[in-house]
Amino acid sequence: MKTPFAGHALSLTRLLPHLALFGTLILAWEIAVRTGLIQSIMVPKPSTIFAAIVELYFVKGTIWYHFFVTLTEAVAGFIIGAAIAIALAVGSSLSDAFRRYVSPYAVVLNVTPGIALTPVIIAWFGFGMGSKIALAAVISFFPIFVNTLTGLTQTDTDREELFRSIGASRVQIFTRLRVPAALPLLFAGLKIGLTTALIGAVVAEFAQATEGVGVLMSRFSFQLNMGASIASLLSMTLIGLILFYSMEFLDDRMVFWRREERREAVSRKRARAWKRRG
Amino acid sequence: MAEATASLGPSASGGLYLRTRRWLTHAAIFGTLILAWEIGTRTELLDPLFYPAPSKIITSFWRIYVTQGNIWKHLYVSIGLVLAGFAAGSILGITLGSLVGLNPLVRRFIKPYVIVLEATPRIAVAPLLIAALGFGAQSKIAIIMLVCFFAPFINTLSGVVNVNEEKLELFKSLGASKMQILKKLVLPEAVPVIMAGERLALTAALSGVLVAEFIQRDQGIGALILTYTRNLNMASAFACIFTLTIIGFAIFKGMELMDRYIAFWSHEDGMTRVSQNRNVRWAKQGWAR
Repeated sequence: MKTPFAGHALSLTRLLPHLALFGTLILAWEIAVRTGLIQSIMVPKPSTIFAAIVELYFVKGTIWYHFFVTLTEAVAGFIIGAAIAIALAVGSSLSDAFRRYVSPYAVVLNVTPGIALTPVIIAWFGFGMGSKIALAAVISFFPIFVNTLTGLTQTDTDREELFRSIGASRVQIFTRLRVPAALPLLFAGLKIGLTTALIGAVVAEFAQATEGVGVLMSRFSFQLNMGASIASLLSMTLIGLILFYSMEFLDDRMVFWRREERREAVSRKRARAWKRRG
Repeated sequence: MAEATASLGPSASGGLYLRTRRWLTHAAIFGTLILAWEIGTRTELLDPLFYPAPSKIITSFWRIYVTQGNIWKHLYVSIGLVLAGFAAGSILGITLGSLVGLNPLVRRFIKPYVIVLEATPRIAVAPLLIAALGFGAQSKIAIIMLVCFFAPFINTLSGVVNVNEEKLELFKSLGASKMQILKKLVLPEAVPVIMAGERLALTAALSGVLVAEFIQRDQGIGALILTYTRNLNMASAFACIFTLTIIGFAIFKGMELMDRYIAFWSHEDGMTRVSQNRNVRWAKQGWAR
């Protein structure tokens, strides 16, 4: 499936119109607020936001501590959620009985908004990082589980027959056929899971916490310090981008056969290695 | 946005005997789990203050729905907000998605903003919106709208953009007008994708209303869960959460049903149903072959 935005090589001529548009938008916004077209209490001036960014990120640097707290919570929750999800999905794909008896609970977990568990999880795991990690794990579980399971159970019967006819064992069929075939879907699930893990961490911080970007944001918002609030929001965007692109990078490395040039690079490297070994 | 659907439901294969046996095993496992939980809390292996016994949860269900009946008011408020925010958000998403999708120039310029928007957890904007719009239904609807907007937007966009090139060529070579291409080629392929986006949006709306109510803490099911948990009335909190499970399930099934009716051509049974209806209608009009 083609993404709605076909990739363009980054170049200055391409970048220039984008920058011009961005500049115009920012300028129009600034003017609108200054002339009172937009109320500055509701929507701060871009210059105010910029000043807040400089102060929070560079001068005082207060945001970095909270940034790393939230990042740690999201990543830890994601790893726990993903580990459980993948383990259960592998189990379900290997045994029909296991799948039958696990799936109703997975469905229940899926239709329940995981966010609803926030207060309960805070009561169970306390006000610290534990509860944020737990919520992130709970809500990142399902997309990873369902994608892994779908990937592992979709079978190309022709290929499986080929594997059988050349005498592949069950383990070989699993590791050499099922797992590689499942990887693209697994990574799609992991990407969704990362995003939801970040949401989980932030929502739990809104509900009850003493540190983290979510706390910073709600504190600034309720002081009506909108510039600083938006500046903290941007750090969540930054976390989201970092997480997404690191997963994308991993995806690209592991599912190397999807892109032509990566596939060729890997096969060249392997050929060289094999030649050296004789 | 990839959304996978595995066959998680109980498989329909197997004879009556096998199916009964499977249901019995399901019931036995469920019963054992519930019983273990109940015994665990009774013997205080699990702290009953934090992990309410299943029997307590059932009593709470009875209390909040029947004897006290206090959940209805909150449910009513929350569901109203969900529907309002969902309607606003998805209409906005579909409109903007189709506008952007049909215009390549706009698409190119909007790309960086979409990437930034996609990476930001939308729900994180909640405190900002509350600060800007004040406490009350207004800011809650704005939050739900924001949370709902993205999935219909991106799905409409990719649905409109992902037109089969060969089919498009065929349409053009047969001299189809722009309107005809839109109506007979683009829409039929885009609608199932858009419906998938709507499903994600409605689920997100339910989470959105909860977050809005967690922050505002005045009324609604989210506030109720929060209050019950604060008072360590965990059984009632769980009764509320299981209520949300039921609502979530209803949403899931409802959207599936709607998908079958609106995008009937992407389901086998819907296709036969509609084509039979059309046959009957055309036969009446004397179009019979």
